[in-house]
Amino acid sequence: MDAILTIKGLEKSFGAHRILAGVALDVFPSDVVSIIGASGSGKTTLLRCVDLLEEFQGGEIRLDSEMLGYRISGSQRRRLSGRELARQRARIGMVFQSYNLFPHLTALRNVMLGLTKVRGLPNAEARGRAEHWLDRVGLADRRDRYPSALSGGQQQRVAIARALAMEPRLLLLDEVTSALDPELVQEVLLTVRSLAEAGTTMLIVTHEMRFARQVSTRTVFMDAGAIVESGRPEDLFGAPKTKRLADFLANVSH
Amino acid sequence: MGKFLTVFDSASSALAAAFAMTVGISAAAVAGGILLGLVIGLALTYGGRVLALPFRAVVDIVRGTPVLVLILASYYMPAGLGVSPGPVTAGVAALTIFCAAHIAETLRGALLAIPAAQTDAARAIGLTFGKTLGYVLLPQALRQIAPNLVNTAVEIVKASSLLSAIGVGELLLTTQEIIGRSFLTMEFYALVGLLYLAVNLSISAGGWWLEHRFRLR
Repeated sequence: MDAILTIKGLEKSFGAHRILAGVALDVFPSDVVSIIGASGSGKTTLLRCVDLLEEFQGGEIRLDSEMLGYRISGSQRRRLSGRELARQRARIGMVFQSYNLFPHLTALRNVMLGLTKVRGLPNAEARGRAEHWLDRVGLADRRDRYPSALSGGQQQRVAIARALAMEPRLLLLDEVTSALDPELVQEVLLTVRSLAEAGTTMLIVTHEMRFARQVSTRTVFMDAGAIVESGRPEDLFGAPKTKRLADFLANVSH
Repeated sequence: MGKFLTVFDSASSALAAAFAMTVGISAAAVAGGILLGLVIGLALTYGGRVLALPFRAVVDIVRGTPVLVLILASYYMPAGLGVSPGPVTAGVAALTIFCAAHIAETLRGALLAIPAAQTDAARAIGLTFGKTLGYVLLPQALRQIAPNLVNTAVEIVKASSLLSAIGVGELLLTTQEIIGRSFLTMEFYALVGLLYLAVNLSISAGGWWLEHRFRLR
């Protein structure tokens, strides 16, 4: 089986500060890969590089073997044009920590925007698909609400529907429960779990260790911009091979 | 009162024409100013140094100059270059630029105040920069600056009275001519004040309606 996403030797710095130091990772169809690690370890930056929201200096990312973000011509490495970047981004879904819904649009219109303006679907068809996805995340009855009239958990589920409606090859989730009140975390996690069970390929950055353990097919531990350990969640959580992972797990479980 | 009614009666068609002139000048300047202001505002925000710098200079000069000076300059300065725009053209041009400079600046502020996360979200679903601007950023920025647009329109209506200085037959100049013939100073200044007030209250009411029609958040 071919990988959907292939990351090789990914390097990223902000000035002299090295954020990613040679990350390599393959994601296969229906994989749910959770990335754990302390804040500042480069997890979010990794996702942002994959979604082409950040430039990176070295290595490569491929989606279905197509190189993302850059073109190599001879020895030159060039960032793609805005239009090409947009085309590639439309094949990857991303859900953010702070939901980032468009406040001037209703839930339904938030989900429809990409369908009409990126996919070019007629309004009626886009509406039908958007309603389907809002129903999928359990918010069919909230479709005409503006984001400000939705709870954090509901907003995050709309954001998930917005990403899924584009039928991405890969869904990136960046700490999607971190901004939520504790009592709202569960509804979002249940939504993500049902996506995992339906075979959605996902790359998840999370601080919810128990969730990572339950939902993922593979867990990756990052530290200082590199992947330190990776494998089955029960192995990483049950028997960490490195001291860094053992220390991290000891810290997060108190 | 009897004399006022007689004078009013004989001057009513001149007043109506002057009122139409004031409304027309203001509407043209506000419409042109909004369009031009949007373009300049976008150039200031996203134009990079090459595009932003000249526009920045124009906006700062216009905003730092009294409107009357702008009006006189746009009427008399072209004559030095051998072009002579009529007073109405010159006056509308000056008001348009004045309006555009203010709108450009408020638009820039509103665009910069939108969290970068909105742009991330728009890009994440595959919108190009142009579509991000058109469907995500501008709709939010325009809602934000709507009260400012109303204020600017009111300012323009008031500033249009300055066009009397270059001989445009708008409300103030026409009123002054009527007063010059009739000496009914109190009555006609009160009347012209009420007419300006009526226009501006209508603008405010229209703005209020628009704000509620296109609700924010």
